This record gives sequence, C-alpha cells and structure tokens, in this order.
Amino acid sequence: MKHKTMMIMGYALLASVLTFSFYGMGQSLASSNDKYGEHDTGEMEYEDSKQHAATKQYPLYVDECGSCHMAYPAQLLPPASWQKIMRGLDDHFGENAELDTTTRQALEKYLSKASSSRSYQKLFRNLGNQAPLRITELPYFVHEHDEIPSRFIQANDKVSSLSQCNACHQNAERGQFDEDDVTIPGVGRWDD
Amino acid sequence: MKPDLTPSICLLIAVVLSGPARAAQDPPRHLQTYRQQGVDQVDIQNGRQLWYSTVNQRSCTSCHGDNPAKAGKHVKTGKAIQPMALSANAERFQDAKKIEKWFLRNCKWTLGRECSTQEKADILTWLSSQ
Ligand code: HEC
Ligand code: HEC
Ligand code: HEC
Repeated sequence: MKHKTMMIMGYALLASVLTFSFYGMGQSLASSNDKYGEHDTGEMEYEDSKQHAATKQYPLYVDECGSCHMAYPAQLLPPASWQKIMRGLDDHFGENAELDTTTRQALEKYLSKASSSRSYQKLFRNLGNQAPLRITELPYFVHEHDEIPSRFIQANDKVSSLSQCNACHQNAERGQFDEDDVTIPGVGRWDD
Repeated sequence: MKPDLTPSICLLIAVVLSGPARAAQDPPRHLQTYRQQGVDQVDIQNGRQLWYSTVNQRSCTSCHGDNPAKAGKHVKTGKAIQPMALSANAERFQDAKKIEKWFLRNCKWTLGRECSTQEKADILTWLSSQ
C-alpha cells in the first residue's frame, strides 16, 4: 500500500519535472529563433530527448562534458574557443579529459553548430576576435561579476570558483542567467 | 514443416529476465574481459593499496573520498561523484567503454602513468567487494 502511493507520487513528480523543464526551455536561450532552437545539431541529436529534456542539451555532450562540472551550454563561448578546448583535452585546465576520436569529433561538430547561433550576444561584448578558453575570462563576464566579494566565492565551500555557474544561477544548465534569479549559497538572493 | 521455435523463445525470455537482476550483484562482467586479456589471478589487497596510495599529493580518494561506499567530491570543481562501491551504487562498472575511459584518465592524472590490466582488475575487484 505504502509502496504504491510512493510510486504514484514518484511518477507525478517526474511528470511535473519534465513538464516544467519543457516550459523553462521555451523561455530560455533556445527560444531565440536560431538553429539550436530547431534541434538541428547533428544526426545523433535528441534521440531520447524526453529523458534529457531537463537540460535540453545533446545527451552525449551532457554525458561526456558534464561529469566533472556542469555541462556548460554551448552558447557561452564562441566556436573558436570550443575548437581550442576540444583540441587540448589531454591537458584540460590541468586535468586529463581525453576522448576517443569518434566521440570527440561528434562533440566538436555539435559545439561548433550550437555555438555559432550566438543567441547570447551580450556575453561577447568587447571580445573582438579573441577566443578565450574560459567563459570566466570573457570581458562581459568579468564585468558582471567583479563586484562579488571573494568571501562569497573562493572562501565559500559551496561555490569555490566562478566556474561553478550552477552554484549561484539556479537555471544555469538551461542557459538562463537572469540577474534576478541569482542565489549565492550561504549568502542568499543577490539584489543590487 | 515449421521449425519449433519454443526452445529458443524460452531461452530468450530466460536471458531477458536474468540479465538485469544479475548485473547488480555479481562482480562486474568487465572482469571477464581482463581475464581474457591474460589476468588469471586478482590481488584484492593490491587493489586496495593502489586506491589509497598517494603520488605527488594525488590519490584516487582526492575525488572519490576516503570511503568508496560514500559519495565523493571532485577535488577542483566540487561536483558530487556518486559512490564507487558496487554495494552502494549498482550502476557502477556496467559499461566497458566508460570504465576504460576513466581508468586511462584517472591513472594518468593520479599516478602519473597508465594502470596495467592486472592493476585495473585488482582495483575493480576491490571496489566491487566494498
Ligand atoms: C576530467 C574532468 C573534466 C572533464 C571530463 C571535462 N572537464 Fe572541463 N574542466 C575541468 C576542470 C577541472 C576545469 C577547471 C575548473 C575550475 O577552474 O574551477 C574545467 C573547466 C572547463 C571550462 C572553463 C570554465 C570557466 O572557467 O569558464 C570549460 C569551457 C570546459 N571545462 C569545457 C569542457 C568540455 C567541453 C568538456 C567535454 C569535452 C569538459 N570540459 C570535460 C574538468 C573536466
Ligand atoms: C558566486 C556566485 C556566481 C557564480 C558562481 C556565477 N555567477 Fe553569474 N552572476 C552572479 C551575480 C550575483 C550576478 C549579478 C551581478 C549584478 O547584479 O551586477 C551575475 C550575473 C551574471 C550574468 C549577467 C546576467 C544578465 O542579465 O546579463 C551572466 C550572463 C552570468 N552571471 C553568467 C554566469 C556564468 C556563465 C557563470 C559560470 C561560468 C556564472 N555566471 C557564475 C553570481 C554568480
Ligand atoms: C580528479 C578527480 C578524480 C580522481 C583523482 C580520480 N577519479 Fe575516478 N572518476 C572521476 C570522475 C569525475 C568520474 C566519473 C563520474 C562518475 O562516474 O560518477 C570517475 C569515474 C571513475 C571510474 C568509472 C566508474 C564506472 O562506473 O565505470 C573508475 C573505474 C575510476 N574513476 C577509477 C579511479 C581510480 C582507480 C583512481 C585513482 C588512480 C581515480 N578514479 C581517481 C574523478 C576522479
């Protein structure tokens, strides 16, 4: 009896999570009328999109690039940056993230397509032709985060560095970074 | 005359039914692969020792934590890593490609070299016994 109720509740929860994710997705970056929004990013794409609707990213990408940190949405860097990152995986910020050639090429293709939509234009302000390896080095990013004191970041066990976008931006994995949707762990909502 | 398919259907059903139930308890199938590659005896103590050894302040436990039955935490990014012990996490060691990918990366990063087939078999046996 108890089991059955739990199961029903579980399904209901799952269903609402999925529904919510689809809804959220429509509101996020993917809503801009670009290629990414049309799911046109490679033949292996979204085969089991239901299962991965929560992030709405290429499942292979989430698997391979989301195990050590959140899977950074492709729109956060220009194509040239992704290309550099993908060519240097054996020394990836001091870590070994090497992949077999087939997987690497599939991901490269995905990233190059999904990032060329540039649906988050303002992130690339004042970037010119540079292709930094880090999102956290983009001039606009630096500008947006330079007022946050380091005791909220480096000295905060639940954040540790600005690279952990999802520590503060609740919907980071879906590509949403609204200023009024920020909660710094142990500190609270951010208003300024 | 039609061939009698009943035995093969029965076999198929048996295989389907036994598959997932088995995977969760038995030692990982992947050990079979190591056996085929020439490992005829595993040394569980050596597996344990490799797991806890420290080279240049790096150890498997830097990310996987001291207790393999508990979740770990990536040493640099802080991202949670699910338990490695099979008893605590039945999803462990189910995919040959995944196992080999991480052994390659993590042995290189942690120990500064690749692990041999023997060492991988030892570690896998130890983790599965936890
Ligand atoms: C073996 C672990 C590991 C894997 C796998 C991995 N990364 Fe990383 N990645 C890291 C670490 C460690 C950092 C540095 C984090 C920090 O400085 O806090 C990093 C940083 C990054 C950054 C820069 C974040 C910033 O600071 O702006 C990007 C972009 C990135 N990774 C992309 C990828 C992609 C794409 C993949 C898949 C091909 C991938 N990563 C797979 C460990 C990994
Ligand atoms: C320590 C918490 C924290 C982390 C970690 C963090 N951010 Fe932020 N972010 C903030 C805060 C706070 C603001 C709002 C700044 C303001 O109001 O001036 C912000 C603002 C932004 C904005 C501007 C929003 C807008 O409407 O233009 C973007 C884009 C952004 N962050 C992206 C990122 C990305 C990408 C990452 C990870 C690489 C990240 N952030 C990591 C706290 C954080
Ligand atoms: C720098 C962090 C880090 C260190 C150090 C590390 N690992 Fe890992 N390991 C990971 C991550 C991240 C994963 C993938 C996440 C997951 O599977 O939950 C992983 C996965 C694995 C897997 C694959 C498990 C499976 O289910 O297939 C094996 C095997 C493994 N590690 C062995 C080791 C061994 C052996 C060492 C020491 C020589 C070690 N790791 C050290 C981060 C690390």
